[in-house]
Amino acid sequence: MRPFYYERAETAVGAVASSGPGTHYLAGGTTMVDLMKLDVQRPTRLVDISGLEGGRYDFIRWDGDALRIGALTTMAKLADDEQVRRRAPVLSDALWLAASPQIRNMARISGNVLQRTRCPYFRDTSYAQCNKRVPGSGCAALDGGVTRHHAVLGTSDQCIATYPGDFAQALIALDAVVEILSPDGPRSVRFADMHVLPGGKPDRETMLKEGDLIVAFSIEDAAFPRSKYLKVRDRESYAYALASAATALRMEGDTVADVRLGLGGVATVPWRAKEAEASLRGGPLDESALERAAQIAFAGATTTEENAFKVDLGKRTMVRALLETARMEG
Amino acid sequence: MSDDHDRFDNFSRRTLMKGGAAGAAMLPMGARAQSMSAGGASATGPSVQRIEVSLDINGQRRDLTIDTRSTLLDVLRHELELTGSKKGCDHGQCGACTVHVDGQRTLSCLTLAAQAEGTKVVTIEGLSDEDNLHPMQRAFVENDAFQCGYCTPGQIMSGVACITEGHAGSDAEIREYMSGNLCRCAAYPNIVAAVKQARTEMGG
Amino acid sequence: MAQDYTPVPASKDNMGKPVARYEALQKVTGAKIYAEDLPVPGRPAYAWMVTSGIAKGRITAIDDTEARAIPGVQLIVTHENVGQLGKLETFANGGLAITEVGPLAGPEVHHDGQPVALIVADTFEAAREASYKLAISYAEESPTATFGDAGATEKALGDINPEYEPIRFNDAEAALANSAHTIDAEYRTPIQHHNPIELFSTTAYWEGGRLVLHEPSQYVWGLKHSAADLMQVDADNVRVKSPFVGGAFGSKGAVTHRTALAALAAKRLGRPVKLVAMRDQGFTHSGHRQETRQSVRLGCDANGRLTGYDHRSWEFTARTTPYYNGGLDKCAAMYAFDAVRTDEYVVQGDRNVPTFMRSPAEVPTIYALEAAMNELAAEAGIDPVEFRKINDTRVNPVNGAPYTSRSLNQCLDAVADSFGWTGRDPRPGSMREGDWLIGWGCSMAMYPTQMGPSTARLIVRRNGSALIEVAAHDVGTGCYTIAAQAAGERLGIDPQRIEVRMGDSRLPPGPISGGSISTASVTSAVANACDRIVEELGLSSDASTDERAAAMAGMSEPEIEVLGRWTPPGMGEDALQAMYDGGVRITGGNMDERTMFAFGAEMVEVRVNERTREIRVPRIHGAFAAGHIMNPRTAHSQYLGGLIWGIGSALHEATEIDHKRARYTNDNIAEYLIPVNADIGEVNIVMVPERDDEINVLGVKGIGELANVGTPAAITDAIWHATGTRIRDLPVRLEKLL
Repeated sequence: MRPFYYERAETAVGAVASSGPGTHYLAGGTTMVDLMKLDVQRPTRLVDISGLEGGRYDFIRWDGDALRIGALTTMAKLADDEQVRRRAPVLSDALWLAASPQIRNMARISGNVLQRTRCPYFRDTSYAQCNKRVPGSGCAALDGGVTRHHAVLGTSDQCIATYPGDFAQALIALDAVVEILSPDGPRSVRFADMHVLPGGKPDRETMLKEGDLIVAFSIEDAAFPRSKYLKVRDRESYAYALASAATALRMEGDTVADVRLGLGGVATVPWRAKEAEASLRGGPLDESALERAAQIAFAGATTTEENAFKVDLGKRTMVRALLETARMEG
Repeated sequence: MSDDHDRFDNFSRRTLMKGGAAGAAMLPMGARAQSMSAGGASATGPSVQRIEVSLDINGQRRDLTIDTRSTLLDVLRHELELTGSKKGCDHGQCGACTVHVDGQRTLSCLTLAAQAEGTKVVTIEGLSDEDNLHPMQRAFVENDAFQCGYCTPGQIMSGVACITEGHAGSDAEIREYMSGNLCRCAAYPNIVAAVKQARTEMGG
Repeated sequence: MAQDYTPVPASKDNMGKPVARYEALQKVTGAKIYAEDLPVPGRPAYAWMVTSGIAKGRITAIDDTEARAIPGVQLIVTHENVGQLGKLETFANGGLAITEVGPLAGPEVHHDGQPVALIVADTFEAAREASYKLAISYAEESPTATFGDAGATEKALGDINPEYEPIRFNDAEAALANSAHTIDAEYRTPIQHHNPIELFSTTAYWEGGRLVLHEPSQYVWGLKHSAADLMQVDADNVRVKSPFVGGAFGSKGAVTHRTALAALAAKRLGRPVKLVAMRDQGFTHSGHRQETRQSVRLGCDANGRLTGYDHRSWEFTARTTPYYNGGLDKCAAMYAFDAVRTDEYVVQGDRNVPTFMRSPAEVPTIYALEAAMNELAAEAGIDPVEFRKINDTRVNPVNGAPYTSRSLNQCLDAVADSFGWTGRDPRPGSMREGDWLIGWGCSMAMYPTQMGPSTARLIVRRNGSALIEVAAHDVGTGCYTIAAQAAGERLGIDPQRIEVRMGDSRLPPGPISGGSISTASVTSAVANACDRIVEELGLSSDASTDERAAAMAGMSEPEIEVLGRWTPPGMGEDALQAMYDGGVRITGGNMDERTMFAFGAEMVEVRVNERTREIRVPRIHGAFAAGHIMNPRTAHSQYLGGLIWGIGSALHEATEIDHKRARYTNDNIAEYLIPVNADIGEVNIVMVPERDDEINVLGVKGIGELANVGTPAAITDAIWHATGTRIRDLPVRLEKLL
């Protein structure tokens, strides 16, 4: 770690007002402290927001079918919330299937959605090439690197690093909105718009600007008792997804009335398979429809020799998740 | 998408302007810094910032002056000679450094010591005294839930929390909720047996 | 997990008591029993090892101006100012050095992660920060990463070891040609890392001209002598303390660069220096299990009797130091082959040097043999358990040397009974539950029984207490516990009243904790010490334990002290002296006159998701026979750990390497996957009683490296049984089944 000033903010307003170049917010620390030890993150000032206003941003509130969650709610608290488990299991699943109990106790959901890629060439500063870490330096992964874990969707010729999180797929599937307090005042953005594709600037991962503080997530229509998160990985727990799917489903008889599909482990950003959803809406949820939807979802995939399997695996994961969701009560 | 300002509890643009309420909003931690330069962060970054913290470790108040970079784990091990919490990876991947912070199992390697101020920290050394072992410690002995023992303090702290959190309802649930603690000797089935035994004694 | 799972089994015939671990209380209370936690005189300085970010090339310039300017930095050591260190030999030449290349020996970089500088500062944070500022320029060359990469060079083992001879037992080619059934397959095993949870650390300080090292070690006497040679001081002036080791699995046996670097820094600064290799640095610091390629041809006649066996293996090793495991001679002893041919090779590249890792030769080579056995059994239409029984042998077929004991068939029966093997439908794809395909597989497990010389000082006191001192090691195996049991049982002393001291080079020498030799070697020396006590007490050797206890209570002196000694039969007395000099002497396994192995049999159930192909192991059973079991509690835990290691080895563990840069990319334990608790379901262990009066004093066989051998073959066979797909490339990852 490089030296930094540490300060605690008492209020969100105070935190935002104290922002400036080199200043980062610190909450659970599970990403920030990890990457500071690797010298990948080099804040000169950390503003600790974990205790803002006596827990004012630590809440889970339902208003009819609308759900609003405070940004500083821990992953564990949201995962264990009885009502969320019942009414929107995809949110709960995507949390308890992530990381470990200790990390979920520490990490807040706003930090969780901002976690950085596990690409080894990004996380190790002794690699000269990483466009995400050092813009314009090249991409070691694309230049003969190990790429089994890399993305097949949303890639560019500058970066194929996978977005590693789980919860974001659930948020994107449920059309979540991010409430942000910024130095210019409050604003809201669609969660789907928060992360940006690597394109020619993989160092820029979100549209958040200096000083922006996420204060809450809101979901207007969160009542999806028939929803789940399926995570496929090499070991049973405490591992990143090779492929995952966040699904939410409403059926009218045998017809798909509404379907939501977020894909993880396969893309550079939290991924919403909107066209695949559209192909399923209004039809039956049978193998051929699912197969067609899977083809659509992965039509734009680009692969390396090592990660080509993720196209097949991603399709299978998505189909299995939807079939299992269809079997749920709701 | 409409900006729904009501949701922001009446923040106004004025209070957000720099130099507004900011000073009052910060805890006086900066004021206690010994080497913080007046100009804040320079282009080359600050020099080492040492701050005074008062920690509550195993029920004892410990007043220390620390580098802001110090993790809770390093302060326990290097400053307080509490070496029961182990450094197995230093990156939140193994669970050997698990302690309780306000009763929640927490990775001390990813917690800045400064963040622990105002909390109650309990380490393996504070779980019991030797004459009166915690039921989880006794269960680990009786079920041979370790071999080399290096992950054991973390396993025990995690096991206690697994029960108090209500995640020890079945074998499958214990396995899942003990998966944040790696055991390279692979005593896992014995760890599950120990958690089950302690659960009975702890009334979980 | 089965409802009747018993973590601590009861004793059976020829087994000691399942007493709790000697150090159990210390381990559950977080006591300071590991090297890094031991107190040092004064506040230590913290060292950060700077390692190369390239695998091949040369340092062209080092600029430490900015690093030195970091407040608190006390010392920076590089090849330019390291001075003259002593030279150590590697294993191949009788020493303990991990590599031929000495610490900071020069500007050449031979592998990724080679230590290139040491920074010492008042705090850990300052030392690490300074590492960011140390500017090292390299002239980089294109490295060779692994098999198939440009620049890889192959040598037969005979070319690097003149004493090595491949096996040419009868005419394997002709035997294969005349077989009713044959298989011909290539098997691949990956790079694996030990990854004990305890990091590699060294704390060094000097007391006048005496060096004290706190370093987790599998051989404190060896480390003492090596450190003395490196620092050019008398070995009597070096003390190594390592009371308990936080896991080793082979990674803490060799002497790495950090020992000399810490000792040197402590000397220059005149204060204790603490050096911890971080987890990622550990991947290139203390060796690994090297990747292998193996080609196996195996045949049998129409009745399933094995005929010819041709096994060739290639191990990938370092350009600088061609460490290898070999091991095909052990495969050749396993069954009643008519003819055997083996050939072994190393392939060299720009890599750090491998080292022994839990069952070093056996894990890859027995995997290949047992996988071939399963494939041939299927080919011949014979149940794989029956197939192994048909081919049981009482002698090593190659030299005719009889086994001192061999209970493989009993283990196969015991595990088949426990697992319910008779319910297996042999057709692949015949079992499923919901969306999960189910398969069952089996394998044999084995490990050579090996031993080395040991001493043990024993003091018995009139008050009924005793003290055992030997510089042996407890890496989690229960060595303290077992030493106390061995003396207690022999002298009629309550083991609770026996104090045991180990892991300190000031104690009389004990053997390296490697090759699963500790229990046999140390208990034999303890037994010898007990016999000397009996003699001192004026009792006959057949005096009962009650008589012995009575004699001790009536001793005229307050205490009697003896030094027990033991050298394995057939080993010259020079072996004992070699240990006193820090050398390694091990014997056992395949001998000219006798053949000494422990055996086991394992069965697993795998489940493979029909759609997404995740592979899970809900059930694994193992039955093992290993002579006298000192303590069923610690033995059970060793077997348990071994079986789970086997699961990890088959499905999870592999170090990924960048072919272009010859660097490990998953050098952390979030992505180098070892099993977590949720991966492990029902585990059942059957300890099959076995008696072997020939093998050593107490009739014990080492068990620490037995249970993880063979497991991958059982798992790959179960995967085939579930899916119909033969995977011969470990670990089996789900994409291989898509």
